[in-house]
Formats: sequence, C-alpha cells, structure tokens
Amino acid sequence: MGIGEFSAYYENPDIIEVFENFPPAFLEAANINTLNITTIIGFFGVMFGYYALIVSVFAIMLGADIISKEERDKTAEFALVYPITRAKIVTGKIFAAIVNCIVINLVTWAGVLLLSARFEPDQKFFEFLQLSIIAFFMLEIIFLALGILLGCALKHYKRANSLAVSIVLGTYILSILSGLSDKLEFLKYFTPFNYFSPLEMSNNMAFDTVFLWLSAVITIVAIGLAYLAYAKRDINI
Amino acid sequence: MSIIEVNNLTKYYGKARGIEDVSFSVDEGEVYGFIGPNGAGKSTTIRLFLSLIYPTSGEAKIFGKDINQHGVEIRQEIGYLPSEVFYYEGMKVLDLLKYSESFYKKDCTKRMMELAEIMELDLKRKIDDLSYGNKKKVGIVQGLLHSPKLIVLDEPTSGLDPLMQQKFFNLIREENERGATVFFSSHILGEVQKMCNRVAIIKEGTVINIQDIKSLQKDNYKKIRIEAEGLDEKRFSVEGVNNMVKDNGSINFFFKGDINLITKLISEKEVEDVTIEEPTLEEIFMHYYV
Repeated sequence: MGIGEFSAYYENPDIIEVFENFPPAFLEAANINTLNITTIIGFFGVMFGYYALIVSVFAIMLGADIISKEERDKTAEFALVYPITRAKIVTGKIFAAIVNCIVINLVTWAGVLLLSARFEPDQKFFEFLQLSIIAFFMLEIIFLALGILLGCALKHYKRANSLAVSIVLGTYILSILSGLSDKLEFLKYFTPFNYFSPLEMSNNMAFDTVFLWLSAVITIVAIGLAYLAYAKRDINI
Repeated sequence: MSIIEVNNLTKYYGKARGIEDVSFSVDEGEVYGFIGPNGAGKSTTIRLFLSLIYPTSGEAKIFGKDINQHGVEIRQEIGYLPSEVFYYEGMKVLDLLKYSESFYKKDCTKRMMELAEIMELDLKRKIDDLSYGNKKKVGIVQGLLHSPKLIVLDEPTSGLDPLMQQKFFNLIREENERGATVFFSSHILGEVQKMCNRVAIIKEGTVINIQDIKSLQKDNYKKIRIEAEGLDEKRFSVEGVNNMVKDNGSINFFFKGDINLITKLISEKEVEDVTIEEPTLEEIFMHYYV
C-alpha cells in the first residue's frame, strides 16, 4: 500500500530538505533519520516499521483467537471431547496459524514486487525485500507464539484478546522510546520490533545474531508455556 | 464391572461450588439417571468425565481408568451429547460428521449413514442453515456414530420435537440393548422415569440420594387422599406422614411406612372417598427439594 505513495518521494531532493527540518527525535521514532527516503530501499525501510506493526497485530490476534475461539464460539464441547490430547489440538492450531502467516507473507512479497517494479529497483532492493519478508515472518512467529500463550493460559478469551493488542502496542512504543535516548537503548532487548532493524538489514544484508537467538528463545518459551498451561486449564464453557 | 466409578469428586471454580464429595458408580449395561435442577452440578460432573475441566479433589474412573491420566483412551469409547450444540459454521453436515469420524479408530461410515437416516438428517445441508432441532440431530448422530461403550447425555431432549424425542429414546434403548451403558442427565423427570434403571439425585452440588427407579416409586411413598366431613388432620399426624395439605373437606399427604397403620386410622372414621396411589417421580423429587 505504502509503495504507491513512494512516487511523491522518488528521487525528490525537496523531501530531504523537509525531513531535515523535522525534530531529530521524531525522525528517530519514525526510522527516517538514517535511511534515505528518496530511494526505494530507504522508503521501504521507513515503511518497514508500519508493516511490522500491522503484521504483528495480525499475528498475535491470530494466535490468541485460534485457541480461544473454541470457547468464544462454544465449540469447545464439540472440538475438545474427541479422543486426542490438548497438546495435539494446540499443535494442529499452531501449524494452521503458521500456514496463515506464510500465505500473508507471500502475498505481501508479490504485492511489493509488483508495485515497486515501475521504480526499476536494483538487485540490492530485492535482497533487502527478501530479508524484510523473512523479518516479518519472524516477527509474526514471535507474536503468534505470544498470542497462542495468551489464548492457552487465560481463562477469559476477551482478556486474551485485549491483552494481545496491549502487548503489541506496548512493545511498539518501547521500540520508539529505545531510539530516543542512549539511556533507554537497553529497552531494545524487550521489544521484538527492534530485533529486525531495516537499517542493519539494508547495510549488512543480514540479521543481528543476538536478536535471532532472542527471538528463538521467546518463541520456544512462549510455546512451551502455552502447552503446559493448556493441558491443565479448565475450559471455560 | 463398574463403567463409571466416582469417589468424593469435588470441583470448585475458584471459590464457587461446582460439586462437592460426589460418589456413585454406574454398572455396565445400566441406564443411569442423573437428575437435579439447573445449577445443581450435573454438567460440571459430565465435564469432569470428559476432561474439559479438572477436579479439585477426589477421583473418577471410567472403564476402570483414571479420568485424569487416561482421558484420551476413555474418550475413544464415549459418545457425548451436550445440552446445547455448537458447530463450526460454513461446514456441511456430512463434512462435519466425517471430521468427527476421523478421530475414531474404527470405521464408522455405515453406522453414521444409518443414524442420519433414522434421525432424518439431510447430510448435504450447511450447518449454518440448520434449525436448532436439526443441529441437535447432528449432535445425536455425531455422538453415536462410533458405537460408543458409554453414552453420556446432558439434557438431551431440549430442542427436539416429541416425535424426534421418541426416535431418540428408541435409539438410546437400542444402543443400550447392544451393550452400551448410558449416563443420562436431566431435569425432566418423566424422561428419566421412562429410561433409567437407577437414578442419582443431585442438589446444590451434592448427591443426596441414589435409588433404583422402582424402589423410588414403589417401596417408599404412597400418596394418600382422604375425603370426609369434619376431618381432623391431627388424627393422621403419625410417624411417616408428611407434606400434609388440608383443603375443603379433604386431606392429602405422603406416607412412608406400614400401610396398615394408615388404613386402620382411616377405617375408624366414616369417609366419603379414599385414594392411595404411587407418587410420580416429580412428586418424590419435590420431596427431596423441600
């Protein structure tokens, strides 16, 4: 979607001037200061943050909902009385959710490729885009895991859903705060939005290993806790 | 062999009472009634059987296996019909039943078709388009298609018209004759009376009585009505008499004990009319709830 607006920015020196007059903190928050917004990589790098927010909200809601919908729609008395363990139910739902995420990412990928074609992007952009799609996917997996944990652990599905949105928005705000001051930089470890920096990706064409490990740990712990919680929890009918 | 064995089963939802110290056992081949008003703990007990919720204390065994440890094996042989049925929308009846069938080890397609025909269920329709009664029929087919050893029914007849209720009861009787044990929870006493061998009465989370239907009706209480002029109800205030009601030249009461005692008391006076009859289960039931 954002790509369509890019034509206003494309190789337009006036834009740089406009941004130079913005307060640095705002630019930092919007990820604009370090990327050249008049190039397609730079523009996409700026849009990255918004896409990341959207896919993260989608993923955590999907995770919380895919578990709690059985209780919300009262289908639990149908779906959970079959001769299978709760763990198997969770596993099935995780796979279904991952397929969902993969489809969303493939569609996004194809969409960006189509819309950016007229700006004749170079090889570097394609590599950056590929990396970004992987980054979105990993963000989705982290938030999906957190969503599934909420769905599995919380007895009241309404609370799971509202907490899910709060977590995404809270960590998003943290990621903005962490960029504002050196003193707050440590916050970046607490927000998945900082794990995949578009600047880092466009410069090194790689992810930061520390954050990759952190992502893996968060995902595995969340999923592990989800299985434990769901196996013991009373279903709310 | 006991199909269901419940020992001091207790469930609290936080501080709220679900059931307390419930104990009973259901023998193989029995049709066991479980009656009580709404909120007494019937559904809580059933949901414990199915591991939808877990007990606070106490234990229950089904087919001799602990419900907490062998839930999956147990559920392989349970057919459950919940009091209200909810399904995924957008599915066709046949797809839903095939999905159900896929969870069971045996091949159930033939039985599924038979049941659908008996219940006059249109397999091609979408679940969303079905009336509540028709969804209930889907539930019946789904609950019975794998010829389970134990059939658990939670207020099964709500939403079914009388004709379908009749078909449903016939189906349950056939399943019972085939060897299935039936656990039948209800607050409609007439249907329990019609179907069950034994009955447990649950009130405010506690089982207050377990009896076989016949002794519940016959051996205990007589419903007595005496019509006479100038009748003094104190005459009949003997042990075993209760729920005495006097109105307009007649007295009504329930009596438990030696019937000769009462007939003697009646014969000492000139009376216009006397009826002695079996109380209905409703009336007995009322007695437990007074």
